[in-house]
Parts: sequence; structure tokens; C-alpha cells
Amino acid sequence: MALTRRNLLRTGWKFGGGLLAIAAGWTSWEMLRPLTGSGVKGIIKLGSPSKFKVGTATFVNQGRLWLSNADGQYFALSQKCPHLGCRVPFCESSGRFECPCHGSVFDIAGEWISGPAPRGMDQLSLTIEDDVLVVDTSKLISGPDHGAADFLTDPKGPACVGNG
Amino acid sequence: MVSNQDAESGEHLRDGLEPDTYPVPEGPWQRMKHTEIWRSVFRHPQLDTPRGRALQGFSNVFLHIYPVKVPKRVLRLRYSWRLGYIATVLFTILVVTGIYLMFFYTPSVNAAYGDMLQLRTGVGFGQLVRNVHRWSAHLLVLVVVFHLVRVFFAGAYKSPRQFNWVIGMALLTITLGFSFTGYLLPWDQLSYWAVTVGTNLISYVPVLGGVLTDLLIGGTQIGQPTLLRFYTLHVAVLPLAVALMLMIHIWRVRKDGFAVRRSSAGAFEEEATALAIGVGDRVRLLGVVDRESVTAEERLADDTVFAWPHLIVRHVVVGLGTIAMVLALGVAFAAPLRGIANPNITPEPAKAPWYFVGLQELLSHFDPLVAGIFVPAGALLTLTFLPYFDRNPLTESKYRRVAISIFTIILVIGVALTVIGALFRGPGWKFILPWQHWYLEM
Repeated sequence: MALTRRNLLRTGWKFGGGLLAIAAGWTSWEMLRPLTGSGVKGIIKLGSPSKFKVGTATFVNQGRLWLSNADGQYFALSQKCPHLGCRVPFCESSGRFECPCHGSVFDIAGEWISGPAPRGMDQLSLTIEDDVLVVDTSKLISGPDHGAADFLTDPKGPACVGNG
Repeated sequence: MVSNQDAESGEHLRDGLEPDTYPVPEGPWQRMKHTEIWRSVFRHPQLDTPRGRALQGFSNVFLHIYPVKVPKRVLRLRYSWRLGYIATVLFTILVVTGIYLMFFYTPSVNAAYGDMLQLRTGVGFGQLVRNVHRWSAHLLVLVVVFHLVRVFFAGAYKSPRQFNWVIGMALLTITLGFSFTGYLLPWDQLSYWAVTVGTNLISYVPVLGGVLTDLLIGGTQIGQPTLLRFYTLHVAVLPLAVALMLMIHIWRVRKDGFAVRRSSAGAFEEEATALAIGVGDRVRLLGVVDRESVTAEERLADDTVFAWPHLIVRHVVVGLGTIAMVLALGVAFAAPLRGIANPNITPEPAKAPWYFVGLQELLSHFDPLVAGIFVPAGALLTLTFLPYFDRNPLTESKYRRVAISIFTIILVIGVALTVIGALFRGPGWKFILPWQHWYLEM
């Protein structure tokens, strides 16, 4: 392409238009992306592990999470169902997590048992420091894939959802 | 035919329509029409002559939306069932009722639900206006879908209307966006969980799903940023987008010669209705004519009628009928309002809005990537670009059996999934008969 005044201007317009589009996109992204610190994020101290008995799940409203004790191992599980985001309650009678929206069922460690959920319940980073359970809600760990059944046991009793 | 004489002597047209040349009628109302103020607003008097009607159309911004003359076939109800027009009327109703509602609504998680209660009990006709807004929104989705189905079966998406079909698809998508963003605003349990389920569908988009969901809801969970974003989209961004798209859509309906007319051979025939001129009519040359106008000039018989009053009166009747219907619905059925949104209590079951519940049903059977992405995105893209790969120029159904069969099958599956998801699913998404328990709320 010959370097004529017309070609130079034409290319200049295209280049300038491209730069303008990038600037608009960048500005929009910076303005519209979620603000840092939005939602429930931060460190939550839950006290001594001995407070949480084997086979129980306790809801922690501050972090909107479940703290479960599966055979002596502790899990901080996100309350959001990995299927479509419904809150998954713990069913005391069956000892399992049962999603009321679409029927996904998880064991006490959040491992997938049945239903349309694509994986087990997502987990939050959980450590024990000086005999205190510490949850870091900013660190979300994707739930275990289908097939994980390390903590799967028979249901304790009848299910809560759909009475199935 | 266009008369060169008329074109050359443009003065005589103006002279012939000067208000001073008409007898001044009796009565204050008629005298007012002869004042300078009136004449500065309405440039041409209501003359019941072809030229008078044409000039009224040309010189009035509202009448100018219509062509001066339309083919007679456009007047038949069965021609289009007026679906596009009804959708426009519903959109107008939504704008008007929406503005009323905005006076009483605060997009805050602490105030929104209270505003809903206040609207119901403390504002005159508040509940009625909200009901009409709600039912109009649902009807709009339904009517736009019917419009799409009719256009498909009529083959009206084919050349030269390909791009207008694409604009129509964009309008359908925006309509769904409108309804979905409005769904959250009451901030009750129904809206909170329907939007939770709906926004989580987006998270299944490969790679970008998480970012898109976070961008839409303004965080990791539905809350104040989500409400404000949905409100802004609902009252500012989407209305502007609709106004722009609708303008192009209606303009192109005119320029592309309304919907197709079938010839006896089933071939596709063009018409330039905006410039359709019958033999014997005298019309000034107003601009450069295009290819289609030449076709129009060669027409022997005049099969057109004036849009005013023939088409416009019909539109007024259909518009009033639409308003009457949504008013009746608003009087008979209250828009639902459950308890205030509570992130810690999920209703059993939590259903997406009815137009997305088919997708939710699909997701309960197939892998999320298939049901959440491939199927809906594939269907949307296929439909949008349908006119560009359907190379069959014929519009009559007997020549389009394959296309019509495929479309009908997809349509039936879509309707069936929606009906099953909406009416036959209970807690835990277990199968339930609708007469055992009705779980659908709109």
C-alpha cells in the first residue's frame, strides 16, 4: 500500500478508533468490576475444634458457610450449591447436605452423591492454629469431582427434601 | 406515474393547501385551527384528499412513522396478527407504568421491599400500576416469541430482510434482559432466588463464566451492588438499547416493504410500499428513487390504501385492546410478592423466571456445558444467522418442509421443557403433577 496522505489518514482513523475502543473497554471494566472486599471475605476464627462433634454440620452465618466434622476431619463448605447457587441446608435426619432447588445431595464432607450438581460442594481454606479453627473466606477451593467418596456413608435416616 | 409538471411547479401544491384558501368554519374550535400558533404546530390542515393525507403524513413526526400508503393486504389481521405492533404497545405501557413506579422505588436492599409494601397499601392505584407493569412484561416476552415464530413460518426473514431478522433477535434478547433485570427489583424471596438461579446459569460459560457472573452481580453473591446494577440496566441501559433497535427495526420494516407477499408460483416478491404509487396519482418527486420504486411505478393496478385512516385506525383499536387486556389482568391478578429476600432460606423449589425454566429443566438432565452453553448458545446463534444459511428463496411452507420441520421440533421441545420445568417440578426438582401442588409463580 502506497504511503499517500489519504492512506495515512485512513489508517490513522482506524488506529485511533481502535485505541478509543480499548480505552472505553478498559474504563468500563475498571468501573464495573466487583469492588475489592465486596461480599463476605476475610478471616473467621471458629474456636476450638472440640466444639464441633463428629457427624455434625454447623452453619456459620458470618461466612455463610458450613463447618462439618466428617469422622474427625473438618471441612468449611460454601453454602452455595455448585449447580445453580441455591443455599444447601444440612439435613439432620439423613446426615447429608440436600439442595432443595434441584435435588443435589452431598455427604457430610461435601462430596457429590446424586443430582445435577457438576461437582461436590466448594470449600473454603481451613486451618487449625493454636487449637483454633481458622477459615479464610477469600480462598475458595473448587469442590471434589464426581466419584470422590472418601466420607460417604449410608444415610442416617429419611431425607429432608422431596421425602425421597 | 410521477408527473414532471408537478415536480417542476412545486409552488402550486403549497398554494393549493394554504389554510387561507379554505373557508373558515364556524365555532371556536375550528377558528382556533386557523390561528398562527396552531398552524405553526400542524403545518397542514386535515384535508380528506389523497394529497392532503399524504402531506399530513410527511409533515407530522408521528404519522411519518407510517408510510403514506400501504398495501391493502397489510390491513388484514391474519397478515401479521399485529404481533410486532402489540409488542410495541406493550413496551410503551411498560415505559409509562415503569416511570410511575420509579417515583416510589429506591434501589436499596434496605428499602426496596418496603417500597413494594408501601406501593401496595399506601399509594393510590400503586398495586394496579405494578400489576399492569408485571403482566405487560410477561406478555411482552410471550408476544415477541410469537412474533418470531410467525415471521419464521411466513418466511419473512429472507432477502432483503435478513438484517431486520437479526435486529429482531437482538430485541428478543434485550426483552429477556429487561424482564430478568426487573425480576430482582421487588427484593423478595421469589425475585432473589429466581435471579440467583438465573445468574448462576451464566457461570457455566467456559473460561469467562465466573467473570461474567461477577460482573453482572457485582460481587460473589447477590446483594446491594447487584440490585443497583440491575436497576441501572433496567431503567437506563436497556431502554436506550431497545429504543435504538426498535427504531432501526420499524424503519427497515418500511424500507423492506413490510412482510412478504406470496405470488401464485410461491416465489418471493418485493414491494416498495413507501413509494407505491398508483396510476393516475400525481406525486412530486421528493428524492432520488431506488431500484424498488421502479418496480412500483410499473404496477398497473393500485392495490394500496392510505395508512391514515385505514391502518392507523386498526392500530388504535388493537392498541386499545391491548391496554384493556393488561388492565383486566392487573385488576384480576395481583403481582406476587413473597417475604423479604433472605439469603439463608432457599424456597423449595427455587425456579428461574418462566422463560428460563426450560433451560433449568435441561440442566437437570444434561451436563452443564451441554445444557447451559452449547444448546442455548447454539439455538440463539443458529436462529440469529438463520437467514444467511437458509439459501432457499421460496417462502411458501410447501417448499420449506425441512426448515419448518426442524424449527417446529425445536419449538415443541422448548415449549415442552418450559411447561415441565414450570408446572411439573416440585421440591428437590422432583416430578409433581400441577394439580397436586402449583409451584409456578410469575
